[in-house]
Amino acid sequence: MNKKEQIVSKISSFPTLPVMTHRLIKALNDPENAATEIVRIIKFDPALTANVLKAANSSYLGFRRPANSLSEATFRLGTKWIFQIAVSSLIYSNLNRPAAGYDMSGEELWRHSLATALMAESLSSLLKIRDSGLIYTAALLHDMGKIVIGEFIADSFKDIQRIINEKNISFELAEEEVLGVSHTEIGALLAESWHFPSVIADCIRWHHNPDLYPQNEPALDIVHIADATCLMEGIGLGRDDLQYRLSEKAVTRLNLSNNVLEAAISQTLLNLEDVENLFREALPAANVREVKK
Amino acid sequence: MGLQVVGISEIKISYSLDDILITYSLGSCIGVTAYDPVIRVGGMIHYMLPLSQISPEKAAGKPGMFADTGVPELFREMLACGAAKERLIVKVAGGAQLMDQNKFFNIGERNFLILRKILWKNNILIKASDVGGVISRTLRFELETGKVTVKSVKGEVEL
Repeated sequence: MNKKEQIVSKISSFPTLPVMTHRLIKALNDPENAATEIVRIIKFDPALTANVLKAANSSYLGFRRPANSLSEATFRLGTKWIFQIAVSSLIYSNLNRPAAGYDMSGEELWRHSLATALMAESLSSLLKIRDSGLIYTAALLHDMGKIVIGEFIADSFKDIQRIINEKNISFELAEEEVLGVSHTEIGALLAESWHFPSVIADCIRWHHNPDLYPQNEPALDIVHIADATCLMEGIGLGRDDLQYRLSEKAVTRLNLSNNVLEAAISQTLLNLEDVENLFREALPAANVREVKK
Repeated sequence: MGLQVVGISEIKISYSLDDILITYSLGSCIGVTAYDPVIRVGGMIHYMLPLSQISPEKAAGKPGMFADTGVPELFREMLACGAAKERLIVKVAGGAQLMDQNKFFNIGERNFLILRKILWKNNILIKASDVGGVISRTLRFELETGKVTVKSVKGEVEL
């Protein structure tokens, strides 16, 4: 087996996402019935129901009267909020894992993933892009390939860094050159192996190179810009550091202005603090370690 | 006391000599340290964005998010602790960018530009800085000695 085959063979050992993630995504795609359907799906899982209710009642949100049911929580906080909390807590244990060779702890990878998802959400709402939850989910999962490829990076890091310096190419391209495959492709293959909607796999696959994608896909441009911005702001960096590029064409395609980008950044930081607080309060202590950097 | 972590958009002031103020992972964000060596008061800010005009209500709740609200606030808090403006030693790190970002959405560069304007208006000099490039930085500041160091993948240097 060459390196690429070795890495791809590791995909099967990555923990499968809970099947409810698919059902939630599907439900959100049907706006007319989304609210009732999402509540119905979450209700099936007592642990998830408990998490969502704890999050809804966390001291951070500061309701004087607790929300006693999912329907009440959904009514107060909105379907999308409930969807995001549910998907985030379903995916949390899959993503809070170290990406060894990148020198990223589980907490840092989780923080970067969550920040990118929240940034994507802020951008889509400011740009009035109709988002069915796919963008949030794709952004949350965009770097999961790093967990799989991490152990192979450690040995190859020097070669990757040398190629970056020699050719002035970004990290994922050098990664592909040395290992035969990059974290973006591995992440996409994972999403495909779970039969996720193809737009999620494509957002993951092209998140560093949206211009190579043959169609105009706003979801991809959003995930790309959200990721690049979180890297630029230093939220959850690894050894690959800032060695990535931001596509000017993606910015033009979305007609994104400086002001909107900066408004989204400031909103994202506040949302990130809120959601991190929610997770700290809502999930069992053993599950959540203090977020530090 | 001891290691005091300054998070994104935070301002911290200390006059405890065994304190070390530290901020991690400065990308395009900028970390500024200010020190009055006579009364040994120090402060640090880690701001994200240049101008608060994009969101005055957020700046009201979190002045440390923006250069134009956070940096004056850092100095106000320092002076309130007895520091004298003419004695302040100011050092700066961060303001990095992604690869080949140049002028395009270059928040790091604008962050540094605004900082220089604010300091110039207030007659405060930058004693040392390590800014720009495609590199993230950790800024560390010892209250007892006033020593400021910057750590990155390139190693650790004193400012």
